[in-house]
Amino acid sequence: MSLVNYATREITCKIVYYGPGRSGKTTNLHYIYSQVPEDRRGNMVSLATQTDRTLFFDFLPLDLGSISGFTTKFQLYTVPGQVYYQTTRRLVLQGADGVVFVADSQARQREENIESFQDLHANLSEQGVDPRSMPLVVQYNKQDLPKDLILPVSELSDAINFRGVSEYSADALHGPGVFETLRGISEIVLRRLSAGGSSGAASSAVSR
Amino acid sequence: MMTSVVESWIESPLKRFVEDAEVDLALLMHPSGQVLAQHGFARSMDVMSACALAAGIYATSAELGRMLEGKPFRGIHQVGTERQLFLAEAHSPRGAYIFVTVFGAESSLGLVRLYFDELVVRISEAAPPEGPAPEPALTEHFERDLNRNLAVLFGRA
Repeated sequence: MSLVNYATREITCKIVYYGPGRSGKTTNLHYIYSQVPEDRRGNMVSLATQTDRTLFFDFLPLDLGSISGFTTKFQLYTVPGQVYYQTTRRLVLQGADGVVFVADSQARQREENIESFQDLHANLSEQGVDPRSMPLVVQYNKQDLPKDLILPVSELSDAINFRGVSEYSADALHGPGVFETLRGISEIVLRRLSAGGSSGAASSAVSR
Repeated sequence: MMTSVVESWIESPLKRFVEDAEVDLALLMHPSGQVLAQHGFARSMDVMSACALAAGIYATSAELGRMLEGKPFRGIHQVGTERQLFLAEAHSPRGAYIFVTVFGAESSLGLVRLYFDELVVRISEAAPPEGPAPEPALTEHFERDLNRNLAVLFGRA
C-alpha cells in the first residue's frame, strides 16, 4: 500500500526482499546501506539470531529524492528465508508494494528456490493479493561463485521465473546487480503508482 | 515537539491525546508499518524505523495471542528504567491502525489507557468516508528522475 501525501507531496513505498534462506537478501540491504550517503538513509534495523540469520526482518529506509515533484521514500524489508518462519514471512509481506525475489544460483539450491517462489505466491494469495498483480523482479544472486557450483541464468529462469518478470544476475556481496535490481523494482512500483495504482491517503496537514 | 500527519483528520485527535496523556512520543500507523501520524520524532527516517519495529511487535504479539488464547492480545505494555511503552490496535471506519506511545514519569499506564480509549472514539468520529480514488501521483515520464536519483544514491551520477 503506497502512501501518497498530496499536501506535502511525499510517497512512501514498501519493498520486500523474499527468497530462500541464505540466498543473500540481507546482503543486498547491507550493500545498499554501505553505498548510500548517510543523509539519504536511516539506520539499518536487523532482527537477527546470534549467528546473524534473519529472525524477523531487516529494515532499511531510503530517501530516493524528488521524483515528479514528490519526495519519494522506500522502505526495504527482508523476510527470514528458513522454512519454519512462514508466519513471519506472511506478516512482513503485509502491505508490500513490490517484491524482489532473491534466488540462490547454486545448483544444490534449485529446489529451495522453487519452493520459496511458490511460498511467496501462496502467502500473497492468502492475504487476498493476486500474485500476478504484485510488482515483482527476480535476482539470481551468487553468480560470482565458480561455474561448476551454480546454474546458468537461463536454467534458473526456466526453473523459477514462470511469470517472465524482469530478472537480474547479481553478486550482492560485492555489488554487481544490486543497483540494477533496486532500479528494476522501483520502476515497476512507481509505474504502477503513475497509472493510478495507489491506495494512499488523499489529504494531509503538518503542524508544529 | 513536532506533530505531523499524513491524513489531516487524524491531527486533532492525536494532538489532544498527546496533551491529555502527557506522553513523549506517539505514532499511529497502518498494520503494514506505514506511518499515518506521529508526535515527538525529529527525523522521518527514525519514524519509519520505529513504525517497522512497532508493526512487527504488534503482528507477533497478535499471532501469539491467537495461539495462546484464540484471539489477539488487545495491547502491550513494556516498562523501561525511565520510560514505558504502550501499543494497541485502534479501529476506525477506515480500517484498523496500530497505535504506539512512549511516556515517562509525567504520565502513567492508567492515564495512557484512559486517553487511548478516548483517542479511538475521536478517530472513529473524525474519520471521513472513503473518497474517490486519487489522481495518479506521478507523471508518465518519472523514469528520468528515478534513474538520476538512484545514480546519485549509488555514487554513479
